[in-house]
Amino acid sequence: MPFSHVRLNRVARDGAARYRRDGGVVRALFLMFALVFAGWAHAELPVPEGIVPPEGEYEGKDVPQPIEFPHDIHAKINKINCMYCHTYARRSKVAGIPPTSKCMGCHKIIATDKPRIQKLTEYWEKGESPRWKKVHDVPDYVHFTHEKHLKRFVFDKGLPVENVDQVCGLCHGDIKQGTVAKKAKPLTMGFCRRCHEANGGPGDCWKCHK
Amino acid sequence: MSDFKIDRRGFLKALGWTGAGTALAGCDLPTTVTLEEGAEEVVSYRLPKEYAIPGVAVWYATTCTQCAAGCGLHGRVREGRVLKLEGNPESPVNAGRTCMMGQAGLQNHYNPDRITRPMQREGGRLVPISWDDALALLKGKVGKGGEIPAGKTVWFTGQVSGHQAVLIDEHLKRLGGGRHYAYELVSEGVWQKVCEDLLGDPQPTLDFRAARLVVSFGADFLGASPSPVHFAKEFAAFRHQPGDRGVLVVAEPKMTLTGASADLWLSPKPGTEGALALGVAHVLVKRGWNVVDVPAELRRLLDRFDPRTVSEITGVAGHRIQRVAFLLHEKEGAGLVVAGAGLGSHKKAYEAAAAAMLLNILVGNVGKTIKPGTPFPEPALAPRRGTTRALLEFAEDIEAGKVQAAFIYGTNPVFTAPGYLKMKERLASVPFKVVLTQFKDETAMEADLVLPLHSYLEDWGTHVPPVAERPALSIQQQVMKPLYGETRGFGDVLLALLKDLDEGTFGAFPDYYAYLRTAMENAPAEVKGGVSGWDEMLQKGVLLAKAGPAAGLKPKLVAPQVMPEEEEEEAGSRPFHLIPSPRLGMWDGRHANLPWIQEAPDQIAKVVWGSWAELHPHTAKELGVKNGDYVRIESDHGAIETQVYVHNGINKEAVAVPLGQGHEAYGRYAKGRGVNPLRILAPATDEKTGELALYATRVSVRKLDRSEKLIKMGGSETQAGRKLVATISADVYRRTEGEV
Amino acid sequence: MSLKNILENWSAYRKDAEKGGHHKYEHQWGMAIDLDLCIGCNACSTACYAENNLAWVGPEKFAKNQAMHWMRIERYWDQKDEEYSEQGASFLPMLCQNCHAATCEPVCPVAATYHTPDGLNAQVYNRCIGSRYCSNNCPFRVRYFNFFSYYESAWPAPMHMQLNPDLTVRDKGVMEKCTFCIQRIREAKDKAKMANRPVRDGDVITACAQACPTQAIVFGDTQDPNSRVAKLWKKHQVERGPYTQKKPKTDPEIRGYRIFEELNVDPSIMYLERVREEV
Repeated sequence: MPFSHVRLNRVARDGAARYRRDGGVVRALFLMFALVFAGWAHAELPVPEGIVPPEGEYEGKDVPQPIEFPHDIHAKINKINCMYCHTYARRSKVAGIPPTSKCMGCHKIIATDKPRIQKLTEYWEKGESPRWKKVHDVPDYVHFTHEKHLKRFVFDKGLPVENVDQVCGLCHGDIKQGTVAKKAKPLTMGFCRRCHEANGGPGDCWKCHK
Repeated sequence: MSDFKIDRRGFLKALGWTGAGTALAGCDLPTTVTLEEGAEEVVSYRLPKEYAIPGVAVWYATTCTQCAAGCGLHGRVREGRVLKLEGNPESPVNAGRTCMMGQAGLQNHYNPDRITRPMQREGGRLVPISWDDALALLKGKVGKGGEIPAGKTVWFTGQVSGHQAVLIDEHLKRLGGGRHYAYELVSEGVWQKVCEDLLGDPQPTLDFRAARLVVSFGADFLGASPSPVHFAKEFAAFRHQPGDRGVLVVAEPKMTLTGASADLWLSPKPGTEGALALGVAHVLVKRGWNVVDVPAELRRLLDRFDPRTVSEITGVAGHRIQRVAFLLHEKEGAGLVVAGAGLGSHKKAYEAAAAAMLLNILVGNVGKTIKPGTPFPEPALAPRRGTTRALLEFAEDIEAGKVQAAFIYGTNPVFTAPGYLKMKERLASVPFKVVLTQFKDETAMEADLVLPLHSYLEDWGTHVPPVAERPALSIQQQVMKPLYGETRGFGDVLLALLKDLDEGTFGAFPDYYAYLRTAMENAPAEVKGGVSGWDEMLQKGVLLAKAGPAAGLKPKLVAPQVMPEEEEEEAGSRPFHLIPSPRLGMWDGRHANLPWIQEAPDQIAKVVWGSWAELHPHTAKELGVKNGDYVRIESDHGAIETQVYVHNGINKEAVAVPLGQGHEAYGRYAKGRGVNPLRILAPATDEKTGELALYATRVSVRKLDRSEKLIKMGGSETQAGRKLVATISADVYRRTEGEV
Repeated sequence: MSLKNILENWSAYRKDAEKGGHHKYEHQWGMAIDLDLCIGCNACSTACYAENNLAWVGPEKFAKNQAMHWMRIERYWDQKDEEYSEQGASFLPMLCQNCHAATCEPVCPVAATYHTPDGLNAQVYNRCIGSRYCSNNCPFRVRYFNFFSYYESAWPAPMHMQLNPDLTVRDKGVMEKCTFCIQRIREAKDKAKMANRPVRDGDVITACAQACPTQAIVFGDTQDPNSRVAKLWKKHQVERGPYTQKKPKTDPEIRGYRIFEELNVDPSIMYLERVREEV
């Protein structure tokens, strides 16, 4: 939407952040570039220095998963690093859902009495993997690569790896607070483009449209 | 309503997506737009190898089996699915390149018409059975103490090599020594025999890089057997020599891919190629351009083939004959004369090929561009070269009652055998036929037992390419897990049969993979080519072997009797020669079930998804036909009807119908499309070698009342004055690019 | 991209073309196709089908010129009126020329096609509304429109497993054409970036160039003086820029040329003239 984009840019440059609510109507199905803003931005996850965070919030829907994986227990309480499980983020387009063997690495021994772990073990023993539902999805014609974003915002900046959740949180929100993932940012083209413009990322269409 | 505008785009999207979004969400087809959470699934790995990173491709080396050339491949695999095939740069056959058949192999592997269960003939139909039942049936017939008497079981296959060939031999040995027939319709049995007789080596090395002139008598080395990619690579080097450029002369009844690249394309009357070669030899000897002594008998023979006479026989102008001779003389020692399948004269194919080889000997090419072969150091693994003679012998042996059980693999004789052989009925007389295949082709439809095999991308094996820069062993590696639970590897089936007969020798191997790995790890050094571990072998994909001993070339001058003994019967009612032409893509019809191959326009005619009959404009005028008109082509053994394509790259006395269409089974893409010219072939063979004389059938061509638009690519047949493909002369090229 | 953006950038691109140097660009992808080496075998065309999720359409649609062959091999008879075509046939691999002054770019009503900083003519599928003005304007006829949705017809299960996830599977109503394998270019650039080095010659090869048995197609960065393709362009004295070349060739018979040069579209593909011996 060329015209709306211009308007929003001016908003960003003005500094007066007026977050508009789109009447609560989810446009995602009809208009791919719908931007839905909600409430005030959460300020719990600190933004690393030198990064202009992407703007926009999103009220994601609750997506039931085959196992209600608790991010809070793993990442918040036990302080397991995002990249311990989502290993591929630094070396691939996708961050990757960890292979079941990674879960079993701990859960062969830890908390084996818990029902969720037992369900997991059932999958493992049957030789299957859980069929997770994809929460953070972009259309098939969009090329997004995790590794370059991590390089730019984590490794090239020398951000300590323990703080990688601050960078992950820019697009995924603070996942540590909940159980299963819930979409917290709109992930629309405008969301990506504004961050690119602010942080010096590429603007060529064919960089991301495949 | 929000406060930003919906433009045209969004509006159309609003109309378009309401349906599409809901229809596609949750399907297993790729969705186009999903911002919606929870609409797609992502399944994690269970226990991946450490190099399996989602989003990053893994490459596996393997071998292509789309024809018998044995090119090396690299398969690109993402998340366990093979997506693309590229050439393996390590292979001395193709050096990283591929042809259209190699690229289309993916459609063979992912074809929706693959057989997924064993089938047994019951009451005239094929019904699915389990592998246990299939193996039990096999045990009963050809197992230990099986029904079929010793020596009466045969294997009828395409060209095979490597350890698969070894196991076939082992199987036959234990069943009393029945025969292994290796049959390929597109092959060079005649040329091989000529090389053996006149040079002492059936497979000499043809060194294109040492040549500055190649004269091909019907050898379509760029588009057909034995190794199209290899020869294309060699041809490129031949063309652009440092400081020079190779010249290509091609003589054939109808323009092939090789002929299309010719500097001089000649079209002698089909069957007179031998006379043309002797005409050139006449000029060479007359002018004293021969570098070896010519024995009197040969000299007397050549006297009869002066340019004027040859011109009358062949229809090729006298000055052209002189010119070819001159070129051979000018490029003495750097010329290379080859002959191939397109030399199918009536019964004198051997003599004609010998005449072509004669030219090489006369101008001293032997030892310079024709060099001793480089045989594979382990003869047991070397290719069993396919010939057409094998088909005829198989047919005879069936008739003689020598075949009680036949294992058929990698070939489709019911489709490719000439109609007069009545292969379907003949096979019906064989009590037990097992067809090992991926598809319900015409031959599988006649089987008593059909065993569904893995595709070549799911299977293990070793292959020795028939032609390469140096001897090599190409490894076929499983590129992805088999798509179907009930298909089995070819080697695994062989091993199962052998374990039943000889548990002692073969019982140690749980599967063919284990057998191959053991065999390769214990292979002699000459085969391994310096590669030590199994992992390294798999990574490289090709082992560069050390050539076995080869006898030097001993050229022998003969006097080829190229002219038919009896006067050719008056053309009369059958004035034309039928040319059932193989081409790169369809080959002998085996790739008609691949849509990419069907949709790829024929290189010369540019027709797609059908058959056609090529006619010279002169002939077309006589018959009163134009592009798209239907004609009836009739031999003494049947008739076919198809559309005409007119061009001047075909002899006036020939009508060429491409091989590959006219399938009666073989899946949704192949079945019921076009016509099969092999149905109407005459029973003609080369007198000397017994190979099928594929181009020896005489036909009549009659215009029919039907006419339809010919479905072909290409807006215009000519450049119409535009500078699209500009051509310059070789003199200019040498001047502007000649400096080394 | 705002309208202001588009207009600004376009005048910048055009000015660059007139100045005869595209010095601001990161890369300038180009090709050299040697018509003397091209044997017309169709390997490139089939490789393109496999790499780029091209739909095969079947005979009925093919007859209506609705085929999707991004890379096609045209075959011309040059001696049609003679007795025999004694110099064989002429083969022309025809694909999107990625013109620098493309005639398709200015006419798109929604700016779905534009010129990238890499010198490519880009087609953004989801922006396209299917006006087909661009294909109408293309003199090479290398733009292909999805008149139908081919999901079920071209990729019946399990053939859909072969689809390349690195690029879109186009739906009905969208224009498509050769992209110089942008997905491979993108991957090579990403890899190079991750390794903190520039893209080297040989890092990117298009599917067609990789398949070609005679290596008639050479692909690379014409802006990199060390790349094979730049060296070929230099050797055959073809320059980027409009038709009136800055320097005429030292010998008018040097083999390099571009097709329809007189239309001033500044194609990125140089063809080398076919050679035939006068026998």
